[in-house]
Amino acid sequence: MDALAPRPVALGEPEVPGVAVRPVGRRDRTYARCLLPALVLLAVVTVAPTVYLIVTSLTPLDLTRPATALDFTQPLGNYALLLHDHRFWNSVWVQAKLSAGTVAFQLVGGLALGLLLGVRSRFVAACRTLFLIPMVLPPIVVAIMWKVLYTPDISPVHTALLALGLPIPALITHPDLALPAIIVADVWEWLPFTALMVLAALKMMPEEPLEAARIDGAAGWQILRHIVLPYLRPALLVAGLFRLIDSVKAFPLIYILTDGGPGTVTEVTNYYAFRQAFNFSYLGFSSAITLALVAAVFLLSWWFVRVVGTRGDVE
Amino acid sequence: MTVTPPPTRHRSTRRAFLRTSAGAVGLGLVAARAPAVLGQAKEFKGVTLNGACFQHAYTNVLKEFLKEFEEKTGMRVNFETPAFPVYNQRADLELSTRGSAWDFLNITFIYSGRWIGAGWMSSLEEFLGDRNATPADWDAGDFVSGAQASLTDAKGTRYGFAWEAGAMIMAASRYDLIEKAGMKMPETFDQLGQVCAAIDGKDGVKAFVNDNLHHWHWPPYLLGWGGKVFVNPPENLTPALDSREAVESAEYYANLLRQYSPSGALSYTMDQGALAHRTGRANLRTQAIAWLAPLATAADSTVKRTVRFAYMPRGQAGAFPGSVSHGFGIPAGAKNKRAAWEFIKWALSKEMVRRAALEKGYIAVCRKSVIDDPQYRKNMTLNGQDLAALYLRVLEESGRLGYMRYRMVPVYPQVGDKMNKAIERIVTNQQPAREAMAQAQREAVLDLKKAGIKIDA
Repeated sequence: MDALAPRPVALGEPEVPGVAVRPVGRRDRTYARCLLPALVLLAVVTVAPTVYLIVTSLTPLDLTRPATALDFTQPLGNYALLLHDHRFWNSVWVQAKLSAGTVAFQLVGGLALGLLLGVRSRFVAACRTLFLIPMVLPPIVVAIMWKVLYTPDISPVHTALLALGLPIPALITHPDLALPAIIVADVWEWLPFTALMVLAALKMMPEEPLEAARIDGAAGWQILRHIVLPYLRPALLVAGLFRLIDSVKAFPLIYILTDGGPGTVTEVTNYYAFRQAFNFSYLGFSSAITLALVAAVFLLSWWFVRVVGTRGDVE
Repeated sequence: MTVTPPPTRHRSTRRAFLRTSAGAVGLGLVAARAPAVLGQAKEFKGVTLNGACFQHAYTNVLKEFLKEFEEKTGMRVNFETPAFPVYNQRADLELSTRGSAWDFLNITFIYSGRWIGAGWMSSLEEFLGDRNATPADWDAGDFVSGAQASLTDAKGTRYGFAWEAGAMIMAASRYDLIEKAGMKMPETFDQLGQVCAAIDGKDGVKAFVNDNLHHWHWPPYLLGWGGKVFVNPPENLTPALDSREAVESAEYYANLLRQYSPSGALSYTMDQGALAHRTGRANLRTQAIAWLAPLATAADSTVKRTVRFAYMPRGQAGAFPGSVSHGFGIPAGAKNKRAAWEFIKWALSKEMVRRAALEKGYIAVCRKSVIDDPQYRKNMTLNGQDLAALYLRVLEESGRLGYMRYRMVPVYPQVGDKMNKAIERIVTNQQPAREAMAQAQREAVLDLKKAGIKIDA
């Protein structure tokens, strides 16, 4: 047996006789050299702007006063302002409502749509492409389309409801309905994304557990509850995470439909940061808002993966 | 033997001298003018000029005639005209970074103080003082002084020339409904409220309409009420948005929108507001003359026969119709400044302004020579009303009283945003006027402190 045991290979000695192997240190250096361009690129396009953002957030940079770019006398001044900025906290609350609404509806609706599209049928197969259309439309086109639907003067929906004797108020100028109106438009646009992820996961699902369950006499809902949903959980988690991060970046719908109004009922945090930077030139303050937003998204994503993701032994 | 100089030679020398002198003087004159004339053809051939302005009737006119300019100078002009808010955001960002994407652009009224004050625009004095660059007959003094005020700094340095002088008036698209109610065009805020109450919904027409630019529409009501936007602009920029006058006028104006405007009017852009007016879905509107004259002139107007114009109604403190001017200028970071000046000269030449006014029906002209033109006055008589007189009255009054100073300060965009939001909150009953204006005041103070503005305690 000892004769059959593999002989330890010395560093630098060929594992296969006659084939030269580079020493580990040299190999690492080669890998490092190959990686270097990518790392430099990453540093330039990602790390440098982030560092600039952090540095800027420590200054009261106002583009109309260029000297403020190097004013570090009150490095935490912007953050102190944020704490007392009522409009910022309002935007955080609006953001929370928007994210919760869009992610929840997109997960539930996307799951239902994905399961429906997973049915083996020629008709359903033909419909799959149609359901993907909202997702591939440019966001600005989606926003303009919903603007038409929500504007009473030109909306076919408003006109039809009026003809039926069921007039409704203008949704995007109503303080209670403006945010739900944006949620509806966002769900319509991104529901197919979740459905597509669910559909892809369903296609990968092995048949055996389903067959075994059927043989054991499990009902359809039991199969869904105990086999399909646990199997889809990782896909739903990823979809939810993507949608959560994207919901924080919601912009075109708000820009076109409501401009953050009426008042500030649809002004989310990134829209507030945009307004501070590009309407008023307060780049320092806007950078602080953006960093707060990045930190919140990071923490939220971490929580989502740790708490939601590990529940049910999903790995 | 006496040698006398040949007389012929003497005569010939004198003639030659005279010829040479005359030739030299002629050449000198030609040389003095030549760079301006010959230089243009050579200097700008092949130059691509980039510029921008928000979309407007005048930019549409310029685009129609742009080919003539390109053929004359050999330049190619990329003239972008996005919507008003989009343009302002892009221009503000472009200028703040000293970008060179645009060689000329529009100096928007509410940004004029900010852009000029921050040194983001080029002085035009160099071109104006150079007779090769600017011939005397271009006549910079022909522009209405009120329209030039926002394009000139405190030292008198000119940074732009106006292509629009906006003057706010009032128009009723369905004056017949007002007459039917036994009333006349309102002259006071009280009368405006009474007329709206009397005609609202009659014949399916809402009584009032405006668009979502409340920081343009509401201040005339505020000033009429006796209030102020700032305590004493430009010296003291402490906002005065929570005064009794501000609260009452905001409630009054919000009520016009809440009670008498079409559903969804709160989100109307200028175009949407104009369309609702032109198609007779709403009756009264207080807006700049360029938006109201099309009621009588636009091909798609359904109210040409029933339109009526009037001066802005007055409150207890008087009438303070808004007036603005927008002008073309050259960014500090522009690459082709000399070529850009050629474009501005062409776009605002007497000939071009006259053509825009007389051939294309453009109204809000800024050249006195055109405003005084009998043909222009005749064209401005719409539905039997002398619109030019109303226009001039607004410009003269705002210039004389100087009440538009609040809109020319560098921080107006910030404070204007607070007004917009407050009016929206009042219209949608999210807050009573007092709370909404108090919040606007707090937010405005916070923003002005960020800009380093000293605020009264």
